[in-house]
Amino acid sequence: MSTPAENEADNEHQKSKKPADTAFKQQRLPAWQPIITANTALPVFLAIGLIFIPIGIVLVVTSERVLEFDLDYTDTNCMSLNVSNTTCADVLAQANYTGASCTCQKSFTLDKDFEGDVYFYYGLVNYYQNHRRYVRSRDDNQLLGKKDAVSSDCQPFQKSVNGTDITPCGAIANSKFNDSLVLSMNGNISVPLLRTGIAWSTDKAVKFKNPDNPQNWFATNPRPPNWQQDAWHLDTNLTDDNNGYQNEDFIVWMRTAAMPTFRKLYRKLSLTESTTFQNGLPKGTYVLTITYNYPVTSFSGRKQFIISTTSWMGGKNPFLGWAYITVGIICMITFVVFLVLHKTWKTDDPLAYQMRSMQMNQRTAAGYN
Amino acid sequence: WRHIGFTFLTFFILFNNLIPISLQITVDLVKFIQAYFINWDKDMYDSETDTPANARTSNLNEELGQVKYIFSDKTGTLTKNEMIFKQCSISGIMYGSGNVAEFNSYELVKNLEQHETRDEIREFLTLLATCHTVVPENKVYTELPTEVAYQASSPGSPRPSKVLTLLWNALLDEFALVTAMKLLGIVFYSRTPDSVTINFRGEKEEYKILNVLEFSSDRKRMSVIIRTPRNEIKLYCKGADSVILERLAANDQHVQETGEHLENFANSGLRTLCLGYRTLTNEEYNIWSTKYREASTAINNRNELVAEVANQIECNLKLLGATGIEDKLQDQVSESLTMLHKAGIKIWVLTGDKKETAINIGYSCKLLSNQMLNLTLDEANLEDTQRQLRQHCQQFGDSLRKENPASLVIEGQTLKYALQAPCRQDFLDLAISCKTVICCRVSPKQKAEVVELVKRSVDAITLAIGDGANDVGMIQAAHVGVGIMGREGVQAACASDYTIGQFRFLTKLLFVHGVWSYRRLCKVLLYSFYKNICLYVMELWFAFHNGFSGQILFERWTIGIYNVIFTAAPPMALGLLDRSCNAATMMEYPAIYRMSQNRMDFNIKIFWTWCLNAVYHSIILYFMSSRMLRHDIVHDSGIVLGSHLYLGNLIYTYVVFVVCLKAGLESDSWTLLTHIAIWGSIASWFIFFAIYSYVWPTFPVAPEMRGMAKYVFSSPTFWFGLLLIPITALLADFIYNCVQRTFYKTLMQEVQEKEVKHQDLSDLVASRQTPVAPRATERLALLKSVFTRTRTPREVGIIDRPYHGFAFSQEENGVVPQDQLIRTYDTNVEKPPGY
Repeated sequence: MSTPAENEADNEHQKSKKPADTAFKQQRLPAWQPIITANTALPVFLAIGLIFIPIGIVLVVTSERVLEFDLDYTDTNCMSLNVSNTTCADVLAQANYTGASCTCQKSFTLDKDFEGDVYFYYGLVNYYQNHRRYVRSRDDNQLLGKKDAVSSDCQPFQKSVNGTDITPCGAIANSKFNDSLVLSMNGNISVPLLRTGIAWSTDKAVKFKNPDNPQNWFATNPRPPNWQQDAWHLDTNLTDDNNGYQNEDFIVWMRTAAMPTFRKLYRKLSLTESTTFQNGLPKGTYVLTITYNYPVTSFSGRKQFIISTTSWMGGKNPFLGWAYITVGIICMITFVVFLVLHKTWKTDDPLAYQMRSMQMNQRTAAGYN
Repeated sequence: WRHIGFTFLTFFILFNNLIPISLQITVDLVKFIQAYFINWDKDMYDSETDTPANARTSNLNEELGQVKYIFSDKTGTLTKNEMIFKQCSISGIMYGSGNVAEFNSYELVKNLEQHETRDEIREFLTLLATCHTVVPENKVYTELPTEVAYQASSPGSPRPSKVLTLLWNALLDEFALVTAMKLLGIVFYSRTPDSVTINFRGEKEEYKILNVLEFSSDRKRMSVIIRTPRNEIKLYCKGADSVILERLAANDQHVQETGEHLENFANSGLRTLCLGYRTLTNEEYNIWSTKYREASTAINNRNELVAEVANQIECNLKLLGATGIEDKLQDQVSESLTMLHKAGIKIWVLTGDKKETAINIGYSCKLLSNQMLNLTLDEANLEDTQRQLRQHCQQFGDSLRKENPASLVIEGQTLKYALQAPCRQDFLDLAISCKTVICCRVSPKQKAEVVELVKRSVDAITLAIGDGANDVGMIQAAHVGVGIMGREGVQAACASDYTIGQFRFLTKLLFVHGVWSYRRLCKVLLYSFYKNICLYVMELWFAFHNGFSGQILFERWTIGIYNVIFTAAPPMALGLLDRSCNAATMMEYPAIYRMSQNRMDFNIKIFWTWCLNAVYHSIILYFMSSRMLRHDIVHDSGIVLGSHLYLGNLIYTYVVFVVCLKAGLESDSWTLLTHIAIWGSIASWFIFFAIYSYVWPTFPVAPEMRGMAKYVFSSPTFWFGLLLIPITALLADFIYNCVQRTFYKTLMQEVQEKEVKHQDLSDLVASRQTPVAPRATERLALLKSVFTRTRTPREVGIIDRPYHGFAFSQEENGVVPQDQLIRTYDTNVEKPPGY
């Protein structure tokens, strides 16, 4: 038996079948409906144009004020000091790339003072550091200083012939750039260079850690086959913490480049060691002494030595500024075209339509009067 | 070879997401919630039966927006299955008016007292109270009742017993008449096997039923022969005007007025009956009665013999008048049908009713009108059908298979032939040249066959709507099945994809939910392809820079959750919240429906346009970004960015911006939730990126990401690129949208603009339609002239006006003959318990 109260409850329950009248459920949410026509978009184009062109000009000027000097020393700019009329590249090729070394000197002139911080880069061209199998070929756990067996990602530079793990393992480490570049001014004043502060601080602080007792560890474990000495001897100055996995040249190299043409920071100018260089690199004649160990001609690569200052935006980068100017100009052109259309294409203009109908109304009203 | 194989596999894996797996999930989720929007719509809630609309599947929402053919049941769907006695004409005087809900004429009662035609009125009323097969509720009355319930009574009551179920429809007409009589004070309250008893305004009168001459579609009439309390023998006959009028005694004086009234009734969509009577002498009756008994016990040809004998007595009738019964339509049926027609939807009514009934309903719900060329097909064999179809098709000429102001009514028998192989194509051509097709006397199986035929041969979405078990076949056959939660049980609803409480809700289901779902889903599909192509084609550009080694530009987990987090919400916003104009506007201007019906939002051209758009964006994004970073030094500290991932993360940020803003650009309306979806997605990437750059080495994932956020965010180049590159990528889209909106507006966009400005839309919609309207009239005239050039409309099978004088809905050759039926009942005997 159902009591009246239950019946009422039933009724209530049945009533609840009626859908709730909420804006969301009834799809009546208030909405902004942008209607983009030639007219309404006019201010947008104008605004983009007016903002982008000045930004572009500022960026172009900023980029122009950055000084940069490039020296390609792949072949003829680096003639062997020992073997006459032979490039260092050829010397390496003739020695079949079996650890032969070659030294060359190249003089050049800087026309302007490179003021402020000056950075020295080596650049490589046609070097695919972003190749999939190359990028993989490392073990980040090993680089954290862990002594576990290394990952097979490092193949074929995982283990040495006798089966022990290579430190550091992998193709990236094995192919580390090992030219040494020494700069002197006027042939006798050596330019003081900083070997540290050239890597990402996070890499140096977090990603690369030496294992315990590093000297012994690196000495007892095999080094990568292409290396001439073990990781603990990457920096001859053993006093600072710049050896083993924490060597900044090594860290910089291990951060594989995005493009086949790339540059990597090699040294910074030390502004404090000598009064000659306290304001930067003065203009004059310089000699670059290159210990040419790194062969690139076999794969049509190029090597560069680059000196650059920086702006607040970084290095020389004219593209961004010009891109801003171009897009700004496109917007201004569009603005003008739409403005002309807007003036001539009256019929579709809702404002004109309203005006017309208002005039009509006035006329009819006048007629009644 | 091994190398090639591996490279192929590498790139296969690299590009597998071009056709996104996430698409399926996004689309399913969007459809699922769209279905809920249908359920939640309070405009489709039927308060009478407490039924909200119910989407029983979420797979067909978008098809609701593309419907071109609607197949509808009649009874219970278009009509309420309720008959109401509305008007009558007695001896040339019209009573009642078409405007009021029920018949109640003071005048009639007054005239019954004192008017010169009071005898005719009395006969008329007596006829209606006695000549029928209605059974009053089984109850013994001790005094004269004024309130009696009839079986097969009002719709709220329980279903009638088993036998009566078969006759349920048959009784409705008579039920309407008897009920009307009750209101006039002439109460039929008791039936015994050989008599009926009525309370004629306070007097008990018992009429002996001597014979019942049954209804059949050939006879088109039904008669009873009764012995009155005053011991006269009378024959009461009711039937179609054509048969009654030819059986009248010579020069009956009211024929003309009654004829006019009949015309009048028919034009206002009423079902009409003509009534006549005749007084018999005892001898006359006795002679006939003997013959009749012989005929009805004959062994051979009994039906013919009985009809023959009956025919002999049904002559020399005196015309009493005519009745007009309204077959009540469901609420707003004719408005809804008109709207559906305006939306370019062709309507097929598939009914089990007779042609005449169907045509009358067609007229009363404005499916048929005099502004159309109304064709009928009623052929008895295959050859005739074929010939007739061929002829009609030829006469349509160029406009065959196009939209014509024409309608076709086809008889079930003929339909059977028309569906056979030699006729099928012609029938189809003819039928889809018509706005309205009415198929009469079709079986449930035929209904399904018709739907199947159209579905197979037309590239259009079909929808079937019905409420009864006999509609299940066609509901299942059509692309979309809509069931009406009716009083005829739940079979139809169970077989359907959508259930609604009333036919009129169909318009909102199609015009609003269908169109919205369709447009939104198109956007979701296109957008999902777009966003994935935009991201993944980037890998191809990068392959040019990494020696086709298959190196991926982005970190693997950031790619992995691209569709899951960073770009998951914008397609949902497009799929659920986007609307170009509000529901009321779409209901008011069904012409908007034609856009989605003709699939203007999704076709090969549009698809490839979007794909190219995605490729274009990816080119802008990749090449501008990589060019921007070419010098490697993007910090004032002189350090180099190193790492393709720096480029990858920078581009990825721009991609998220472009892709999310593109969703905004494609949105017709920005609700608060749209804002949250778009800006929230962008924000989610920044948050993720910032956190993800710090997990190594605490958690053994993503060592290459360590420190990324710090160096990316600290680079001014990144921020300048962020301002420049997404805007550059979207600039072309923006300009395209401007130009399109300014010079090549779609109807939808125009409507939207006017709506936003709160302007009146009617002039706009009208201006788009004016070129069509006069052409339609011309076309009609032309068509009519083509069809009637050589012959009269009747010969060709053109209906030029509604039928009248025919309102029997009785089932002929029923399981239980009417004669037998009325003789089974004795309402003066208590029902056995438990029956």
